[in-house]
Amino acid sequence: MAVSVEYVARETAANLWRNRLMTIAAVLTVAVSLSLVGVSLLLRQGVAQATTQWQHGVDVLVFLDPVPQAPTQPTAQQRTVDEQLRQLPYVERCFYRDQAYDYQEAKRLLDPSAASVLSIGTTPASWRCVLSQPAEASALASQFSRYPGVDGVRYPQQAIRTMETVVHVLDAVFLVLAVILLLSAAVLILNTIRLAIFARRREVSVMKLVGATNWFIRIPFMFEGIVQGLAGAVVAVLVTVGLHVLLDHLAGSNIHSLLYEMRTPAGEVAVTAVLVGLIGVVIGAAGSAIGIRRFLDT
Amino acid sequence: MIRFDHVTKTYKAGTVALRDVSLEIGKGEFVFLVGPSGSGKTTMIRLLLREETPDQGRIWVAGREIGRLSSWRIPYLRRNIGCVFQDFRLLPTKTVYENVAFALEVIGRPRHVIQTQVPPVLELVGLAHKRDNLPHELSGGEQQRVAVARAFVNRPLVLLADEPTGNLDPATSQGIMKLLERINRTGTTVVVATHDAGIVDQMRRRVIELHRGELVRDQARGVYGIAT
Ligand SMILES: Nc1ncnc2c1ncn2[C@@H]1O[C@H](COP(=O)(O)OP(=O)(O)OP(=O)(O)O)[C@@H](O)[C@H]1O
Ligand SMILES: [Mg+2]
Repeated sequence: MAVSVEYVARETAANLWRNRLMTIAAVLTVAVSLSLVGVSLLLRQGVAQATTQWQHGVDVLVFLDPVPQAPTQPTAQQRTVDEQLRQLPYVERCFYRDQAYDYQEAKRLLDPSAASVLSIGTTPASWRCVLSQPAEASALASQFSRYPGVDGVRYPQQAIRTMETVVHVLDAVFLVLAVILLLSAAVLILNTIRLAIFARRREVSVMKLVGATNWFIRIPFMFEGIVQGLAGAVVAVLVTVGLHVLLDHLAGSNIHSLLYEMRTPAGEVAVTAVLVGLIGVVIGAAGSAIGIRRFLDT
Repeated sequence: MIRFDHVTKTYKAGTVALRDVSLEIGKGEFVFLVGPSGSGKTTMIRLLLREETPDQGRIWVAGREIGRLSSWRIPYLRRNIGCVFQDFRLLPTKTVYENVAFALEVIGRPRHVIQTQVPPVLELVGLAHKRDNLPHELSGGEQQRVAVARAFVNRPLVLLADEPTGNLDPATSQGIMKLLERINRTGTTVVVATHDAGIVDQMRRRVIELHRGELVRDQARGVYGIAT
């Protein structure tokens, strides 16, 4: 059965205009709820990003002066650093990551632009240490950052752990809020569709009488719901991407800041955007499908 | 074309609207359905449109048993049946042309088909010159002609009319009946439920009379009431 594009476009536009206030309410609700979803997804990605290098309970990273040949085993000087590290009572164990490994990790974590100036030969290898008392990380750092052969010491783990907890709480709160708002958005969309059908019940009854199929009657109304869901999703994507750009900007090039560690690659932001768009469409379609159902059972 | 086989229809409230009705209407017949108010005429029409289903018995339209029709097929049944009501049921925001075209549009007919089929039907009902008027700019009789045009534009096998002249004066009613006769002459089966004794007596067509849901008379070239 042919449902012409022109017919659907015309009917959808007419319905949206007729119920514009309800439409705006529905679109805004979708926008707010999906913004929460988007921000929450970005936060998760940021935390995942920031924690990649802090796996296996690592508390401190001791970066070693890069060696142009990029050896895969620690050099004599680097082994000395390790021995000195082990002298400390609160150091449980340390393991070695060579320059090639750190280079790959940096490429994964950094912006393509920042990563492009790196090479294996200039990327420091590292000792990664697990501490029995993580609070001592700063003491270790001040002691070792000027040690011969050491490039720098990083220990943002405490901060990351705290952040992780905060983000998990935020995540849960956002999720609950988003679900509630998404449900209200669905109900609002459902309601606009009902209003639209109610306003056109005469037309719908004539359509049934002359033998229009249920799908033919349904499609313009469903399309209306989808347009609303999609419009809300577009706003939400703009908010999410805007926030991402803002954070990126705030993080600047200070590679020691937490925000910098949380920087999410553009590809993942795009995935988030698509996901948010899809949720918008699904909410719109579901809301309208439920809104229509009652009118079509004969 | 239409066949009722021991059909009984009871509404939820317990009202028996049709009781064990059997009848057959052939292709191209013109039939009046008469009977006092509440005798079940509208119920018969609603059963034929599958707006209701019978509790007992079976109904055939165009060789198909419609009680067994799955719900997605109902629209296709209705495309074979045109119908006209006392209250016209036109769309007030659409012009005469658009009202008629709507019936083709919503069954997915392409625009060029609509453009070639609507004008001759408007010509047939004598409203070609009012094609761009809105329903409220027309008289009752003209509105009913638009409704007839809409019912007929798809060339249905059957045309059902439920008190089509209920809101019209006698002269206008005659015009509508003439129109239905012309449509009948094209081979369309026409069933008219009516209270209008004058018209039934004048046209002398087959009359089926219902009384409290029972078929009490089926008479070729009949009149409205035997007593009168
Ligand atoms: N939807 C319904 N629910 C319950 N009872 C109904 C319904 N429709 C009709 N009835 C009852 O069924 C009986 C037959 O009604 P129907 O409308 O078929 O009569 P009719 O012959 O068309 O009457 P009229 O000449 O007044 O239009 C009546 O008693 C009516 O009250
Ligand atoms: Mg009736």
